[in-house]
Amino acid sequence: MRLIRKKKLSIPIYMPERIIKYSEAIQEATDQMMGADPRVFIIGLGVSYPKGADGTTAGLKSTYPERVFDVSVSEHGFTGMAVGAAINGLHPIVHHGRVEFSLLAADQIFTQAAKWNYMFGGGHPVPIVFRINVGRQWGNGPQHTQALYALFGNVPGLKVVIPSSPKMAKGLLVSALKDKNPVVMLEPRWLFNIKQNVPVQLFSEPLDKAVIIKEGAEVTVVAYGDGLFSARESLALVGDTVDIELIDIVSINPIDYKTIFQSVKKTGRLLCVDTTNGAFNVGSEVIAQVARNKSIKLKSNPVALSCPNVPCPTSTALTEFFYPTKVDIANALLSTFKKPLINQTLSFEELHLAPTDTIQ
Amino acid sequence: MFLIRFTEQALVELYLKHKIMSFVHFYVGQEAVAVGVCNNLRKEDRVLGNHRSHGHYLAKGGDLRAMISELLGKEGGSSKGKGGSMHMIDTSVNFIGSTPILGSVVPLASGAAFEQKYNKRKDITAVFFGDGAFEEGVVYETLNLSALFALPLLFVVENNLYSVNSTLKERRSANHNVEKIVTGFGVTYLKADGNDYEDVFEKARMLTKGIRAGAGPAVLECMTYRHMAHSAPIFDDAAGYRQEDPLERRLERDPIKKVRRSLLESGIPENTLVTLEEKIRTSVAESIQCAVDAPYPKKETLYTNLYA
Repeated sequence: MRLIRKKKLSIPIYMPERIIKYSEAIQEATDQMMGADPRVFIIGLGVSYPKGADGTTAGLKSTYPERVFDVSVSEHGFTGMAVGAAINGLHPIVHHGRVEFSLLAADQIFTQAAKWNYMFGGGHPVPIVFRINVGRQWGNGPQHTQALYALFGNVPGLKVVIPSSPKMAKGLLVSALKDKNPVVMLEPRWLFNIKQNVPVQLFSEPLDKAVIIKEGAEVTVVAYGDGLFSARESLALVGDTVDIELIDIVSINPIDYKTIFQSVKKTGRLLCVDTTNGAFNVGSEVIAQVARNKSIKLKSNPVALSCPNVPCPTSTALTEFFYPTKVDIANALLSTFKKPLINQTLSFEELHLAPTDTIQ
Repeated sequence: MFLIRFTEQALVELYLKHKIMSFVHFYVGQEAVAVGVCNNLRKEDRVLGNHRSHGHYLAKGGDLRAMISELLGKEGGSSKGKGGSMHMIDTSVNFIGSTPILGSVVPLASGAAFEQKYNKRKDITAVFFGDGAFEEGVVYETLNLSALFALPLLFVVENNLYSVNSTLKERRSANHNVEKIVTGFGVTYLKADGNDYEDVFEKARMLTKGIRAGAGPAVLECMTYRHMAHSAPIFDDAAGYRQEDPLERRLERDPIKKVRRSLLESGIPENTLVTLEEKIRTSVAESIQCAVDAPYPKKETLYTNLYA
């Protein structure tokens, strides 16, 4: 790995870019990695359809007819089969179209794959990628939208990433498929149609590094996935009033505390944005670790934005109040600095339809 | 078979002296199953097991000293002290691993067989689990998946009548029929007398031959007796749940006795057999002594091996 990196650094490579969707970036990473590595195969419900897995496996069955497996409706069984295949040297991608379905395979993900190398004393890798979809979207309701990020972050032995953009989706999936360990990629479905310039060639993004999206001096904002998307939007609303440092946490297992601590030491203020329930979420963990760090002197109490501690309902009349919006984030920041709040009403489309914006 | 029996007999003493601080599920009485099946396997073939896997591990050729060291929680154990009795592994002989969550190993084994099929290997996989695990939903999922993909997989169900202390009557309707369930999935089924080495060997021979020829998965159900309690080296007849297999019946049908009898009948002199038994006992004793004297893992290793 080190050699490859050196090579990448020393030789400038022309990386042509073009604008593609988040779902297309996942498809492209899969296609390129299947082309590069015969051990890679994909298994999951409907992954062989022409527009399989929300487009993320589109066309792969015709390119790799022997390596794309639509399969029995048996999440526990086929996930376990894939873990067994990984233990014996293959590199499966297991797709679960909603996180709720992956829970049927909890034993195989949490108790088998995550423990295997440790419980056998090392030397027993489980190279597998669990692509798990978090279903935030209109109409999905209490059993298709759970954002169980913290559940996966809690289990030692898994690597857990949440891509926040098309570029990260491609780069993280490539890294996951080059890793020897079980990697869970939690994909917020809310972001599947956002677009970005993404390099055509294979490239990788580190699985364990947070990314500073925008540097700033006055407050650190830590977010991930769909919450990071709203936090990006809030930057424009806040403008020059507050100098924000925005961090994409990228990985919640392990968490890159070095980057977060360095930022909070500089700014002295912290806001965490979660798109899951308030209890035991990513923000609570980050705030707890910052509070314990004796070398950090906070100028004000940390702030946490998250969803209420109720299931996500179905009616848009109720979901309107469920997820933190760009206005909520902007106002949380402005109120920290005792600045006048924004009074902006979001449209039905902004609140309930998945974004299609092109991001930088 | 003798090695498995003598090893566990020696482990009883160690366990009772509290030197084994690992949950141990004794295989005493079921040895004919592991050995009858594994004697039909080649080194390249894969085996996976469950919480009661000392026998499966040794029958596949797993290292005795590494196993005992693991039970004692030593650095030189097969899992460096991190696994214990319920997590046996020796990949040098393709004993891929054992896992104690009931049924969990079954889909893992199908993955081992999936890899053999994917890479067009000629080898097969065998997985051992009990009648309790046979009631887990994932086993039915895996029967279907392995038939769908025509995997080279032998499911060995060791039916010892009890899941912990629960009888089959408490767990299954009177009309429950394992053969119908299995064949309903399009999977071949045979039943063997799990207390009889030759019967297990012969039926496993027929099934593995078919699997190697590409006939797809098969189930071998072996009816056997677990001589001891669920997870301690004691005879628990006083607990009162054993109606079908009282101690006299278990001892009368002891597979070791039967094998010994047929070896003698085949013309092997008694003293040759006694010498062989002594040799095995000595080797077990040496391995135990070696493991007892070996160092414990260092504190720092608590944090190692989380990732590969």
